[in-house]
Amino acid sequence: MDWFSYLTSGIGVYVGLAVFTGGMAWRTWQWSRTPKSPVRLALYPKPASGAGRFGKLLTDTFVAPQSFKIAPAVMVAAMAFHLAAFAAFFGHLRLVHEFDPLVALLGEEGMHTFAAWTGGTAGIVMLVAVLYWLGRRAFGPYKNLSVPEDYLLLALLLGIVLMGDHLRFVGGLPTGAYQGWFASVMAFNPSFRPDLAASLTRYALDWHMLFVDLFLIYFPFSKLTHAIGAFATNLVRTGE
Amino acid sequence: MEKQTIDTMVGKLDKGMNRQLKQYLDICARCAICKDSCHQYVATGDMKYLPARRAELIREVYRKYFTKAGEFVPALYEARDPDDHLLDELYDSAYACTGCRRCMFYCPFSIDNAWVVAAAKGILIAADRGNDMLGQLADAALFKSDNMDMFRDIIVNGFADIENELREETGRDVAIPVDVAGADILYVALAGSHSIKPAAIIFDAAGASWTLSMFEGSNYGFFLGDPAKAKLIADRFMNEAKRLGVKEVVITECGHAYRVAEMFYEAWAKEKMPFKVRHILEVIDEYIKDGRIKVDPKAVKERVTYHDPCQIGRNGGIYEQPRDIVRAIASDFVDMTPNRQEQWCCGGGGGIVAMEEFNDLRLKSGGKKVEQIRATGATLLACPCENCRLQIAELNDVHDLGLRIVPVMELVAEALVPKA
Repeated sequence: MDWFSYLTSGIGVYVGLAVFTGGMAWRTWQWSRTPKSPVRLALYPKPASGAGRFGKLLTDTFVAPQSFKIAPAVMVAAMAFHLAAFAAFFGHLRLVHEFDPLVALLGEEGMHTFAAWTGGTAGIVMLVAVLYWLGRRAFGPYKNLSVPEDYLLLALLLGIVLMGDHLRFVGGLPTGAYQGWFASVMAFNPSFRPDLAASLTRYALDWHMLFVDLFLIYFPFSKLTHAIGAFATNLVRTGE
Repeated sequence: MEKQTIDTMVGKLDKGMNRQLKQYLDICARCAICKDSCHQYVATGDMKYLPARRAELIREVYRKYFTKAGEFVPALYEARDPDDHLLDELYDSAYACTGCRRCMFYCPFSIDNAWVVAAAKGILIAADRGNDMLGQLADAALFKSDNMDMFRDIIVNGFADIENELREETGRDVAIPVDVAGADILYVALAGSHSIKPAAIIFDAAGASWTLSMFEGSNYGFFLGDPAKAKLIADRFMNEAKRLGVKEVVITECGHAYRVAEMFYEAWAKEKMPFKVRHILEVIDEYIKDGRIKVDPKAVKERVTYHDPCQIGRNGGIYEQPRDIVRAIASDFVDMTPNRQEQWCCGGGGGIVAMEEFNDLRLKSGGKKVEQIRATGATLLACPCENCRLQIAELNDVHDLGLRIVPVMELVAEALVPKA
């Protein structure tokens, strides 16, 4: 590994995960130690039971039907992005361990084909969603509502997705090459397998990881804390 | 701006900080989904009325003084000190906000921008930039309670005049009891006989044990954004209720008065009240359903629709009782679309009807309500909130809607059938 690879695809992964985990824990702790509003801030009608509240919390947080009703285009983009991101994250777990039952079902070649289709689709959906948001923010009437943070986050996401799509569609390396790299990271001894080290594709991986590292580091200090905070605020709506 | 003023404003924000406010300030994605929920933004297209933008003004100060990231990299978040320009925009956006919380309903994170606006008003007051008119009206209410000895006879004589009027109008003796210790109900009305007469007739018909509060329910301290004053104003009838030992406080057809008494007061007072708080329409609905009063089901012959005041409906949970009441006395009831939790604000809440400087905005922002009313084809609007009635009455004139706007309890008082 050269120094850039070591920084982005090695040490950067640890730093990113540490800051993300510590930062989110710190943010959650900060919220929890701030006294609750003494005033009831529910919206009505509110669920009558605890189970009803929990159900509404999940619906509001994961589906947000009322938001779909008023802004369908934005919500379709948002949901498509979040679902694709979840699918992509899930697909990346292949780097940790191959999905044996799926391989047994589809065969090794079939598994690669399946991953290529699902991963490729997720990558394209995320790219389209990020470009939509970027366009909406930069050229729409909401330009005046936007702050540099909004563009920074979209730029990082665009970098992650573009480089990820490059690895998926152009990289041409076998999955094993990336599994080898990830195993070395998990063993705290980051390194590239010879075929990855010799390929120009490693630069795409390095840039992909650079954007991922920065994204993870910035996450706890950004509006993306809605990933946790939305559960709390949506619960208030149900009648806390 | 002087450092001392900035410190005062930041200190005010710090003092009012709570978990919900902090989360609202931290997690807004500025997706602007809220834009189409706000009657003011929809009417004007002006960014300062976009709910997320109203909150963003406070967020800029919050990031500078309450987050390390904003302190170290202010440019990234547009974190900044409050200045005159910010306070000017904040004044317009905060005091124009009617607090309808329709934006919260549609927000995917349920961000309560009205709660952030309340914090904004606190900052404005700390900078001596609160709304003068609302401040004067709040002070006048407190002056009345501080000098009750001076006002008592005038008020009681006024109630006696209302009794006389009722005798002439109904041909019966309808009492307006005052200061009755041990009564079941303390009824909190508004200034003016229109909120007393129908209630008195209905209480009388139901044989209720009630007493009228010496104080009105309206609370300009709440609109001003000064919880200390708002509490003192509400203290007047809450203490009266405690002194008289009533079982419940019943608030008249006034949206914010109900929300203050039911949702806010115990939190401000930091104590559980020894009585419950109900809206007058909850009580009347119960009277009809329990057979304590009888109404003519065909009393209202024209087409009638109902307006959900935001503070009673979306923010108070009273949706069905008023509809049941209206259906009990009218044969042609038509709901507006949308209704209940999705109801458009009429544009008259939050004290905006008392602030002349927002008159143009207020009337313009009532456009959605005008569309809704027109679509029903109704000639009668049942409306249980004073501010909504004032606003819709003006819209009625401006848009020539040909509408009669009446409190629900007035319709009931007219529809009462004497018991056999």
